[in-house]
Amino acid sequence: MQEAALFRSKTYHAIRSFFHERNYLEVDTPILSTTVIPESTIENFATRFRNPFLPSRDLYLLPSPEIYMKQLLAMGFGSIYQISHCFRNSEQLGRIHNIEFSMLEYYSVGFDEQDSILLTENLFRALKVPKRLQPPFKRMSVAEAMKRYAGFDLEKTQRRSLLKQEALRLGLSVPDEPESWEETFNRIFLTFVEPNLPQEKPLVLYDYPRRIECLAQATGAYRKRWELYGMGMELANCYYEETDEEKIEAYYRDEYARLIQNRGVSGGVIADVDPSLAKTFARIGKVSGVALGLDRLLMGMMGRPSLEGVILFPLSAILGAGNGNL
Amino acid sequence: MIKAGQIEKGTALLIKGQPFIVVEREFVNPGKGSAFVRVKLKSPATGQVLQETMKTQDNVEDITVADRDCQYLYNDGEHFHLMLTDTFEQLEVPMSSFPEYELLMQDGEIYRCTFWEAELLDIIIPAKVVYLVAEAEEAVKGDTVQGATKYVTTETGLSVRVPIFIKQGEKIRVNTETREYLERVND
Repeated sequence: MQEAALFRSKTYHAIRSFFHERNYLEVDTPILSTTVIPESTIENFATRFRNPFLPSRDLYLLPSPEIYMKQLLAMGFGSIYQISHCFRNSEQLGRIHNIEFSMLEYYSVGFDEQDSILLTENLFRALKVPKRLQPPFKRMSVAEAMKRYAGFDLEKTQRRSLLKQEALRLGLSVPDEPESWEETFNRIFLTFVEPNLPQEKPLVLYDYPRRIECLAQATGAYRKRWELYGMGMELANCYYEETDEEKIEAYYRDEYARLIQNRGVSGGVIADVDPSLAKTFARIGKVSGVALGLDRLLMGMMGRPSLEGVILFPLSAILGAGNGNL
Repeated sequence: MIKAGQIEKGTALLIKGQPFIVVEREFVNPGKGSAFVRVKLKSPATGQVLQETMKTQDNVEDITVADRDCQYLYNDGEHFHLMLTDTFEQLEVPMSSFPEYELLMQDGEIYRCTFWEAELLDIIIPAKVVYLVAEAEEAVKGDTVQGATKYVTTETGLSVRVPIFIKQGEKIRVNTETREYLERVND
């Protein structure tokens, strides 16, 4: 346990030096918030605020510090980074999941998502990661990966019915009830693509389908977003941040509608959102943001088989291994 | 019907009308996406392996399986002949459904078997089994280096690497999963 704590401490020190040298300001924003950015697939933790002089209300443990960091960007803070604890409810406890986890989030002013790849490669160099995580990262577009591992053209399957046909051709059981394009995409991606991605080198999977809604800028059928895979794990997610106020507003509206629909099924918390933040987020300028899962990175760097060897007091160990991943 | 999120290793499911047993289960949450469960299933009847990814909210058809005792009678090169110990009913099972089980199963021995209605899905071989050594080479004289090993063949035809002191006619305990020698057994 002491070894894991020491390793984390040294790594955090190296991360802070890396960003300090590049004039990024380390910030510390709340993890307890009155509103969240709507994300229909992430369930939130809610807790009750009580005060003798103010009305009681729910507060939420944030799944990412994005909501506050973007407000700082809009105030003209320049490039910023943060190491913080994030919370996602209803996720599995297992080898590479813990509902409370450590995230390194960094926003680079003047950068697009390509610049963020180079920055992340340099970060990995500075951290002296083991061979299997060493830069340069391989690069592959999502369409290329689909073609290679699932054998079809993503460009030509933008319609829901066509994508479903591909899923059936691949032998997947797709339920009769209609499902979104994104859900069918994920079935195919998770069965045929993700498990077969090369693991001997880190891989940047870029140009995600536009139909997977998020706050990354879109061009054509794709979004300027990438995910970094290393040692078979999703390590980081990057956006060239959306700054079109109308698109951000539309995202808030549509994603919140999906969130309410999903929670209707799961019975989970429906967190409050503040659509007026669209105005603020539209003022951040040219920015690329990366969220990197630190616990998984440490797991890879330390060569540990599961997060339990990395996180002190992991909930999976405390609540029992019955929920484990395999 | 159960939700895919309730699937566990060993759960029996009916997929496209065929019974499958879940051999691996992993939860996956894509970066921007709902919770999925990725499963590897195996058909006990044909050995076919299937990969599926389901949303945790998907309905899947689970089937109830029951364990019953069967006595292994013999094999005729194509089928295993078994007898249910409670009803004395005899069963023929294609040997190809249980590859290399003839090397592990011993005539007259009673095995727990998993059934889905009348269909035999699985024959459960205990993790550690005692076998009689039918053939063993003589240890080469002078070959006494610690850890030296040789191969022996059990009565069932299983080839096992053992320490050189094991002789023909002795009994050994074997890990049936890894097929590794565990210890010599004295009667």
